[in-house]
Amino acid sequence: MAPPAQSQRSQSPSQPSGKSEVSDLKLQLRQLAGSRAPGVDDSKRELFKKVISYMTIGIDVSSLFGEMVMCSATSDIVLKKMCYLYVGNYAKVNPDLALLTINFLQRDCHDEDPMIRGLALRSLCSLRVANLVEYLVGPLGSGLKDSNSYVRTVAVVGVLKLYHISASTCVDADFPSTLKHLMLNDPDTQIVANCLSALEEIWSAEASTSEEAAREREALISKPFIYYLLNRIKEFSEWAQCLVLELVTKYVPSDSSEIFDIMNLLEDRLQHANGAVVLATVKVFLQLTLSMTDVHQQVYERIKAPLLTLVSSGSPEQSYAVLSHLHLLVMRAPYVFSSDYKHFYCQYNEPSYVKRLKLEMLTAVANESNTYEIVTELCEYAANVDIPIARESIRAVGKIALQQYDVNAIVDRLLQFLEMEKDYVTAEALVLVKDLLRKYPQWSHDCIAVVGNISSKNVQEPKAKAALIWMLGEYSQDMQDAPYILESLVENWDEEHSAEVRLHLLTAVMKCFFKRPPETQSALGAALAAGIGDFHQDVHDRALFYYRILRYNVSVAERVVNPPKQAVSVFADTQSSEIKDRIFDEFNSLSVLYQKSSYMFTDKEHRGPLEFADELGNLSIGEAAHNVISSQRVEENDKDLLLTTAEKEETRGSSNNGSVYAVPYDSSTSVFASQTQIESAISNPTTAGHSQHASFGIDDLLGLGMPAVPDVASPPQLKLNTKAALDPNAFQQKWRQLPVALSQELSLSPQAVASLTVPQALLRHMQSHSIHCIASGGQSPNFKFFFFAQKYEEPSNYLVECIINTTSAKAQVKIKADDQRTSQAFSSLFELALSKFGTP
Amino acid sequence: MPPLMGIEFLCRVSDVLSDYLGGLNEDVIKDNFVIVYELLDEMIDNGFPLTTEPNILREMIAPPNIVSKVLSVVTGNSSNVSDTLPGATGSCIPWRAADPKYANNEVYVDLVEEMDAVINRDGALVKCEVYGEVRVNSHLSGLPDLTLSFANPSILDDVRFHPCVRFRPWESHQILSFVPPDGEFKLMSYRVKKLKSTPIYVKPQLSSDAGKCRVNVLVGIRNDHGKTIDSITLQFQLPPCILSADLTSNTGTVNILGNKTCSWSIGRIPKDKTPSLSGTLVLESELERLHVFPTFRVGFKIMGVALSGLQIDKLDLKTAPSRLYKGFRALTRAGEFEVRS
Repeated sequence: MAPPAQSQRSQSPSQPSGKSEVSDLKLQLRQLAGSRAPGVDDSKRELFKKVISYMTIGIDVSSLFGEMVMCSATSDIVLKKMCYLYVGNYAKVNPDLALLTINFLQRDCHDEDPMIRGLALRSLCSLRVANLVEYLVGPLGSGLKDSNSYVRTVAVVGVLKLYHISASTCVDADFPSTLKHLMLNDPDTQIVANCLSALEEIWSAEASTSEEAAREREALISKPFIYYLLNRIKEFSEWAQCLVLELVTKYVPSDSSEIFDIMNLLEDRLQHANGAVVLATVKVFLQLTLSMTDVHQQVYERIKAPLLTLVSSGSPEQSYAVLSHLHLLVMRAPYVFSSDYKHFYCQYNEPSYVKRLKLEMLTAVANESNTYEIVTELCEYAANVDIPIARESIRAVGKIALQQYDVNAIVDRLLQFLEMEKDYVTAEALVLVKDLLRKYPQWSHDCIAVVGNISSKNVQEPKAKAALIWMLGEYSQDMQDAPYILESLVENWDEEHSAEVRLHLLTAVMKCFFKRPPETQSALGAALAAGIGDFHQDVHDRALFYYRILRYNVSVAERVVNPPKQAVSVFADTQSSEIKDRIFDEFNSLSVLYQKSSYMFTDKEHRGPLEFADELGNLSIGEAAHNVISSQRVEENDKDLLLTTAEKEETRGSSNNGSVYAVPYDSSTSVFASQTQIESAISNPTTAGHSQHASFGIDDLLGLGMPAVPDVASPPQLKLNTKAALDPNAFQQKWRQLPVALSQELSLSPQAVASLTVPQALLRHMQSHSIHCIASGGQSPNFKFFFFAQKYEEPSNYLVECIINTTSAKAQVKIKADDQRTSQAFSSLFELALSKFGTP
Repeated sequence: MPPLMGIEFLCRVSDVLSDYLGGLNEDVIKDNFVIVYELLDEMIDNGFPLTTEPNILREMIAPPNIVSKVLSVVTGNSSNVSDTLPGATGSCIPWRAADPKYANNEVYVDLVEEMDAVINRDGALVKCEVYGEVRVNSHLSGLPDLTLSFANPSILDDVRFHPCVRFRPWESHQILSFVPPDGEFKLMSYRVKKLKSTPIYVKPQLSSDAGKCRVNVLVGIRNDHGKTIDSITLQFQLPPCILSADLTSNTGTVNILGNKTCSWSIGRIPKDKTPSLSGTLVLESELERLHVFPTFRVGFKIMGVALSGLQIDKLDLKTAPSRLYKGFRALTRAGEFEVRS
């Protein structure tokens, strides 16, 4: 809304060059300033318009400040408005000149016309000059008590502006309590809404320093106040309704009848013409019923129709936003939308960002009953003029194929794609066929027959080429001329620019060699020679490795390079369920659109203590106050985006009800732990769970390097306190401070894995061994537990992080201890306890 | 921040601006920047939307055409800002300005429907849906209380209402009861899905071999609604691999635009013949056959009928003024009407 800052001014030749015009204007304004002739307002208006238009296109007209102020002594509102606009724009850069305007603005604040009073007050508050705040308090105070609601509305927002310029002035003038009074008593709902948004902001920011503010903030989500707002919700403007609904989502009703009351009251909001209101209501419904599974399902049914309408009506931007939300919902409840799959069919001239989301939706809602129709539809898009979408839709077909058990028809379709003679279609289809074969090896015969017909010359894209080469290697026994194709590919080694393809080529030649040695021998030799001479480090290393292992023992090489493979049952999910849950908590915010939790895009430095915060988030422990990275978890609060960074930190600080958390981070003892966490977070923030394994791998290696002899000084038998107790906060603090004493990988018995279907069973079991659980989480196949134990009759603690993967039947254990010497003994105790798990 | 709040607000700003300025583009905004500033000033303050109801804004800030009129008549104290604050800011019906007076009391109700359909190459209906709006243009004095009922409300799949509509009567009896804003507004929008037929058919036939592609498209009326179908158009994008196209039709005109869009405007379908478009496309030299087939987008307009079958039963006004004129209209347009080939 604000005109561009002067620094960005552009002086293209067509625009007035500035200087002479400005001095011209100055002269004319001076002449008019004193004049009282009739019609003078009209000429002033023309001049003002010129000034503003110069200002808008970026010419610096700040030299006219004095003249403008002089001319502003008028009763004409348009003139005044233009003048206010001018003043508001230049006051910040010319604080001294701004002082000039205070006088006439203050005078206007007492004008008899409420419109002028309001406008003057708004401009006064918009000056944002720190040394002028003293002049604001008076007009604001009287503005809040004004008889006209327009002025009061403006004054309320003015208080918030004042707070941002100078928080102390605002609090000292006791404006928050005045706002509270207004909020509870004013008949005008717009004022109530403005008070609400202002107070939410002020109290959130104040809560970290003032207990009273924290209390007041809590009071905003108390029952009487929420009911007060809900009962009047129809009188609020649509925007204010969004604000109120957002507040309601934070309210925790005491019993189910209350939940139903609120939902009944709000049901008609789902029919509101404003999509923002509808979505805010949907969020209330979803959050209220989280604990009631049956009702939650009914809610999905109820909100379905309004959301689908929002998708198909309105602008593409709106469709995109709503589709993102639908995608989130569909991940949680795919069956709800499975009968409405036709809504996600793409229209020809939709923007491709909408189409892409729709394709994702189609993939997500596909099930046994609708797969055929959906795949048929997706195949239509494969012939689409829009090539990226055509690619996406082929990929979608592949994803559906990987989800379903009945893939017969889909495989046929994919094979048709291979024959379509469009290079991008062939390329995408090749990659998919490769993935399919990894999951359904039984289809290899049908696929290979078709793949064999594809000339590798027609495939140019690295990914597709790599896929083709992989298949050539893997199924070389079924393909007549596989060795010769590979040989010709090896001959053209230098023309192959992608390292990925060269790597695949090496492996494929190796595999082919094990299956058909005589035909491949020459190709293998050439490939290894070319590989060793390759400038790419990975290719070079792999070729060297193959060469050496072949020289060492060919059968070992075969076991390494071409072991019997198991069909892949589940491909790795790119997003952990934790992050999905987090995004769901932030429903109706930009998090859903970015598919990232808010802390990932609001807080760049926030990396280090992040994972830990994730794990213990359910214990509502505060955040790590890192000594370098002063980052804390972002409270799941949409308004964060509106706040400045400084305030954000205060807000977050307040999120844990004043518990003592800000322990200085002792970097010297925990450098290793935090570094690995940071590394993994950086390398792949969305798959924190997976990447952490990598860092454990490093631990493992280090662990092997140390002498594995148990510490002689440690007591032979370690006794644990059966009634150990540890405060979650203390646990977190210790975890942060202590270095990793031990980390190892343990195997679980099949019985143990079977018993883990109920994680609580493990908790009970460990407790019987005096090892207590403090936090647990995760979903099959990955579980994560935090345990602790205490030495008998000694205040010495052991902390354990244990990540169990049920598919591999492995447990990654990380132990930290107050007393480092006994950690080995504790580790064996822990191992013993874990090994007994599952045995009756 | 809630994403839809931003999007909805921006849409509202653009609606209001184009309402005020009679269009929305860079030049119009440059010419009227004062009004734009004033409007934005009232619509948003400190990042929070304030007044967005066009009726109330119009009371606070007069639209430009009135300004110029006033300016020419009165000099001196004229301004495009009303001296008094709008009464409605204080009233409990925020969308209605206080007490307008009209000599002729009129209310018009329009049903405007758009048909979205996808038809595949066998002529089967893949998807067909109607998105409709009830637009009301009301010029009524005082505080009129209207009720509108439909003959067949059960066909509606999902509805959204203007804030003025009371929810309970709709929930219990499917009656729209409301106090309308002054002037034109969208009372309700609705969706009707699972329609069984389309008013017109389009039969494209493409056959390609030896570097050429023969195109033949037939258009006709499927089932007669008794109303004439107007301004039928057909558009399709020629695939990029096509070098040249030679297309002729027996009715209407065919244009091939620069971006390889072919548009055929038929208008009304003549009684004596079926409109058809035929010709050949020449493909790029190395291509034998065409792999990408165009999608035909169809446009049409039918006055006087709502294809969803929705019918207005009656419109009542509590405390009817002496002279009241009520008008009803219906119109169906093609929305996203696509035929694949």
